[in-house]
Amino acid sequence: MDRTEALLIADLCEGDETALAPLVERYKRMVYRLAVQITKNHADADDVMQETFIKVYRSIHTFRRDAAFETWLYRIAVNEALNFVRRRDRRRECTLETTVETEYEATARHYAQLANDPHTQAEKSELRQYVTEAVNSLSLKHRMVVILHEFEGLTHAEIASILNCSEGTVRSRLHYARKKLRTLLKPYMDAGAI
Amino acid sequence: MRSKCQKIEPLVSDYIDGTLSEQQTTDVTSHLRSCWSCKREIADLKKTQHLLKNFYVEPEASDTYYAQFTTQLQKRIEQSAPTALYQRFAAATTRLGWQLLTQVYRYADRFHPSRFIAVRRHAVPYYVLTLAMTMLLATPFLLTQVSMHNNGEDARFPSAGIPSAVALAVQKDKTTTESVGIRRNMNSERATETPAVDSGSDVWKFTNEPMIDGYILTTLHKRSSDTMPSVALDIDSELLAYTEFPSQGAIWARRTSRDVLTEGRYALLLLRGINTGQQALQQYERKRSELKGFSQKLLDVPLEMLSVAAVHDPIEL
Repeated sequence: MDRTEALLIADLCEGDETALAPLVERYKRMVYRLAVQITKNHADADDVMQETFIKVYRSIHTFRRDAAFETWLYRIAVNEALNFVRRRDRRRECTLETTVETEYEATARHYAQLANDPHTQAEKSELRQYVTEAVNSLSLKHRMVVILHEFEGLTHAEIASILNCSEGTVRSRLHYARKKLRTLLKPYMDAGAI
Repeated sequence: MRSKCQKIEPLVSDYIDGTLSEQQTTDVTSHLRSCWSCKREIADLKKTQHLLKNFYVEPEASDTYYAQFTTQLQKRIEQSAPTALYQRFAAATTRLGWQLLTQVYRYADRFHPSRFIAVRRHAVPYYVLTLAMTMLLATPFLLTQVSMHNNGEDARFPSAGIPSAVALAVQKDKTTTESVGIRRNMNSERATETPAVDSGSDVWKFTNEPMIDGYILTTLHKRSSDTMPSVALDIDSELLAYTEFPSQGAIWARRTSRDVLTEGRYALLLLRGINTGQQALQQYERKRSELKGFSQKLLDVPLEMLSVAAVHDPIEL
């Protein structure tokens, strides 16, 4: 029996646990994609996914029906992922007392060196890897905006609502992230890779 | 950077996305005609966007992973049944107590009373005070444990009175005369895995409300192994009912003036009002976990198993 999303949500609100499975089926890939891109780790993304859907199950009664369920789910997933990353980073700080270079900076530097290498003639697969790593090298707040806008196709207003900030902040972060990416990808553009 | 370029800068991203107003787009376009630097920057940003859209590899997991994930999630949801308020209170108190004691222990030396005041010779030793504090904080937890022990397995589900069979009776569509009675014996001594058709069982229609369907699924007799719907209900018997309308449980409660515990579309009615409050809730929680996917099983009953029987209104009981 095919139930629409609204019906599934209504059933879940009334405590029908079976309504959760179709919703998970519908959104699991989206949540996974988002979680991996934020945590940059499959195992961590798995935890985030679990927490996200558990939260959906427990807090569905707080969902306002006039809003889009997808945006609400995005907000939960993003918050769960961000909290997870913060906790993880705190643990790392506690265990590693010495100041370590963040992996973002390390990756950025590594790929900047690669791109400057005159012998690096990127094939398409390499270019894919390069572009992917360039995005991963952005700081978390800039990466978030790029992922939600460029890949998930959300508007500035939607992103602002998810990240709980102003549209102006979203615009500014997006602009900064694009400029940063332009700098990282510049060697490829100049080399005529595209 | 020229002042005009500085004005244009914040609009560049929106210009690339095509989300500027008509006037703003015209302004940027006219500026680009005269400014080579901005034109180049926009061209680069467009190339960047092109690279992102065409070469960024979005992460994806295998179907096997998603299947495993769904199973794990289901398990976690089953385990995350709501906890009773007093249990949460006890847990929170214990946690708080532990934290306080840890702090007291940590700073005991630093703030020992003897450092600040002259302690009388026969004053209560500091460790006795700590112990008393521990006892005080642990009391709610201990009381909970005693209460749980007293209301334990025997009280909630006496082994002699565990429902030995589950009988299901459901009318699939009240506009037709199709109905089904399934008797499944759950008694360990007489276990039968395959549900046996019991065409003679009654179908108990719960309500006369034309718009709302509600059906008694099973009658759980506390002191009898007979679990088929029966007019002669035992003391402490319960009715487990299923409804198409989720909030029907509350309506049933008002109508029958009986204790009703509802969860989703299931309702447990305590006919004689012996089991009430927390004790009954725990009992119901257990049954609910046993009856997971119950409604689906009912819907999957093959048509050839359907048979007609009498319809009774249990409110008449």
